[in-house]
Amino acid sequence: MVSTIPIGAFIAVSAVLFFIGVTGVLIRRNAVVILMCVELMLNATNLALVAFSRRAGLADERGSVFVVFVFVVAAAEVAVGLAIVLSVYRNRPTVDVDEVHAMKG
Amino acid sequence: MTFGLIETVFFALLTMGIVGAAVGVVFLKRITGAALLMAFTFLCMAGMFVLLGAETIAAFQVLIYVGAITVLILYGVMFTPQTDRAYSLFFQKQTPIAGLFVLPIAIFVALFAFTFRDSPAPSGKGGDLVPLATSVFRDFAFPFEIASVLLLAAMIGAIVLVKREED
Repeated sequence: MVSTIPIGAFIAVSAVLFFIGVTGVLIRRNAVVILMCVELMLNATNLALVAFSRRAGLADERGSVFVVFVFVVAAAEVAVGLAIVLSVYRNRPTVDVDEVHAMKG
Repeated sequence: MTFGLIETVFFALLTMGIVGAAVGVVFLKRITGAALLMAFTFLCMAGMFVLLGAETIAAFQVLIYVGAITVLILYGVMFTPQTDRAYSLFFQKQTPIAGLFVLPIAIFVALFAFTFRDSPAPSGKGGDLVPLATSVFRDFAFPFEIASVLLLAAMIGAIVLVKREED
């Protein structure tokens, strides 16, 4: 498929999505929603990686290979993250990250 | 040149879907709705990958993100209570100062993004699958094995974390 859309447009969408994800991580207090927003940020970086990987003149697919590894790490991260959230919820009945301060110095 | 017009329309629709659904994820009070909007964001992102000519990545996106991760997150939503308190850090007195710092960075990023005016390269015969597989299994074979060890460690860790002690 020959695309006519400039790479910069994809990079702009990626930056906007990353910003929205950061906003979500900062203002939401529910641990599960924070995990969702981290996934949004990972997806934004995936878009930037693929866009730069598909620039004219670059023959190989190195950026897309990194995206595959980001997929692997994201799957591992969400599995371990949800396990931590569930085990915290089992010990004290809250998923509000402001009320979980057992390791606060 | 009608093909280019169709592509632009698709790009605009996908951008609206991504940004709108992501804003919904951040601001929706109902967590189940936020999770489903997150899945919609991932689906639109798969469309973006198709527009970029990375069909294999789009297939992985649908399989892993729209399929697996959304189901995992929905299970997390099911097992935890929905807290009512939200947006705790939003309107504080530091907000205008933070905006003052964020705005120049945002303008710089926007200007930097639109220096890349060239279009995505057309993929050869067989799409992007052949060069992707060649890269993964020749140049990145060792990191590929490390990734499988990471997945195994994450699986064991998740099982150990949520296992109940028998007493």
